[in-house]
Amino acid sequence: MTQPVEKRTVDMQIIGDWVEPHTRVLDLGCGRGELLDYLVQTKHVSALGVDLDFEKITACVQRGVPAYQGDMIACMASFPARHFDRVICSRTVQELDSPASVIAEALRVARSVTVGFVNHGFWKNRLDLLVRGRKARNAVYTTAWAESRPANPVSVADFEDFCAAEGIRITRRAHLLGDWKTPCPALPNLLAGYALYDLTR
Amino acid sequence: MTDETQAPAVPASTPPYLAADDVGLVTPQDFVTPRAFTFKNGQELTGLTLRYETYGTLNATRDNAVLICHALSGNHHAAGWHTPADKKPGWWNNLIGPGKAVDTRRFFVICANVPGGCSGSTGPSSLNPATGEAYGLRFPALTILDMVRAQKLLLEHLGVAELHTVIGGSMGGMTAMLFAIEFPRFTRRLLAMATTAREGAQAIAFNEVGRQAIMQDPAWLNGDYARDGGPRVGLAIARMMAHITYLSDASMDRKFGRRTIQSREQSPQLRAELAQQPAPADFNLQFEVESYLRHQGQTFINRFDANSYLYITRALDQFDLDHAYGSLENAFAPVLAESLVVGFTSDWLFPPEQNRQIAQALLRAGKRASYAELATDLGHDSFLLESEELYALIRGFLERAPAPTLDFAI
Repeated sequence: MTQPVEKRTVDMQIIGDWVEPHTRVLDLGCGRGELLDYLVQTKHVSALGVDLDFEKITACVQRGVPAYQGDMIACMASFPARHFDRVICSRTVQELDSPASVIAEALRVARSVTVGFVNHGFWKNRLDLLVRGRKARNAVYTTAWAESRPANPVSVADFEDFCAAEGIRITRRAHLLGDWKTPCPALPNLLAGYALYDLTR
Repeated sequence: MTDETQAPAVPASTPPYLAADDVGLVTPQDFVTPRAFTFKNGQELTGLTLRYETYGTLNATRDNAVLICHALSGNHHAAGWHTPADKKPGWWNNLIGPGKAVDTRRFFVICANVPGGCSGSTGPSSLNPATGEAYGLRFPALTILDMVRAQKLLLEHLGVAELHTVIGGSMGGMTAMLFAIEFPRFTRRLLAMATTAREGAQAIAFNEVGRQAIMQDPAWLNGDYARDGGPRVGLAIARMMAHITYLSDASMDRKFGRRTIQSREQSPQLRAELAQQPAPADFNLQFEVESYLRHQGQTFINRFDANSYLYITRALDQFDLDHAYGSLENAFAPVLAESLVVGFTSDWLFPPEQNRQIAQALLRAGKRASYAELATDLGHDSFLLESEELYALIRGFLERAPAPTLDFAI
């Protein structure tokens, strides 16, 4: 089973490829600031992270990544339209209370929005429920029910339908197989373990 | 801030001032401004004195200075001990010292009593050399900006080329912000805690009650009271009231609950006090919290000057960065410092929201700024809390290598 740390690195590399140098980047759910630190090092971005946890903010401050402790929607609401070049919402979208409002607010404060999520439509997830009758637990969803955070699972098909309905333009996609490394050749809703999207209005 | 923030936790064997992480015995010093000091309102004062303390050593490049800005009732004695017999160290001794969050092996730490104060700096209780009498209300109207400008002169006198960091909580946070605004090239990092960019109506209201308690005391005499006299009742009431605003419902209830003084062992002093109480007994001292507040008031009148209290609370009331600079973003536009703002969940004097607004405005102005919010139930005085989490944050902010200089404007 692929280690979460390696997966995070894959995520970082793809996002790193998409981020333009010397831009303003806001990372929603920035955690300990690894992604932003990487973007500062490689793309010299002006970074800001948002997270709910004091200890995570401390970690960001320790590595020199500016970070804001608080609610991500309230944080974005304090900025004028297009203050940022890019908002990143990576691996957090399935844990949001109101994903549509977060994405709408992100599209207001930034020119482009990067969303990354584990694909709930991944074939092994389907099998886990259909055959085993249990919460999905595999390369994509690694934790047992009792160790998992509340999730509002989303699949590639759900997300693309959502974007179409909201009139959000998808400018780039990256679909990866269950190892989160190999590009997914076809049928992403069935075969992709992880999906990344670049959105704009 | 309260007078009880530093409980002496002392092993009997080693005197605390000899502890490895203590700055030890310190001696306050005086700086007299070489030229007449012009206050914001245009009034001049010759021989303005600032009493200050320093801990640690200024490095060869003269850029490792950390300025500590004190709150309303604080002073220059931020760390260490004046004599081995002191019952308490400086007010932020838990933060400042060799190996502590503000590490005096690394930083040259400075703390000065503000002008208008009463701990050695020139204030309303100082003698006017022209008349030989105390200034009283003839002392110039005071603002936070005057505190900043006076301390800047002190830093120049000490040979500080630039401030590594300016740190302050409450009023000290206002002072720190204004340093970063008024002297942007001089101020490299800003750490503001439990503060506000704009003294709100509730905070002004509390200040006004304190001032009225002082000014309605017949012994106030329009500020011309004798050195050993003055509105002691009024000042004590002002302090009792203000002290409540530094705590919280939860912390007071935990500390005192509804315990009565009858339920504890009474000291001879307390018995004497109870014996002196006027009838009717119903309104005598009953609850622990009453006894505590009376003690706070009594302690305060022995160390604080009533006119200083009037002047400094008025300076707080006048503080409004939005108004002074047109908007908060305008105010922060010149800032070059990297900033960290810290709010405390239970602070209802300068609530988290007001601290958040500072960070948000800095970010909107395109500055490098962080906001952290510590969950505590100790109220406004939480910024003085002994908290490893808070220490880790402050240490992380101070000790990290400086950020590469980039132009963050769009």
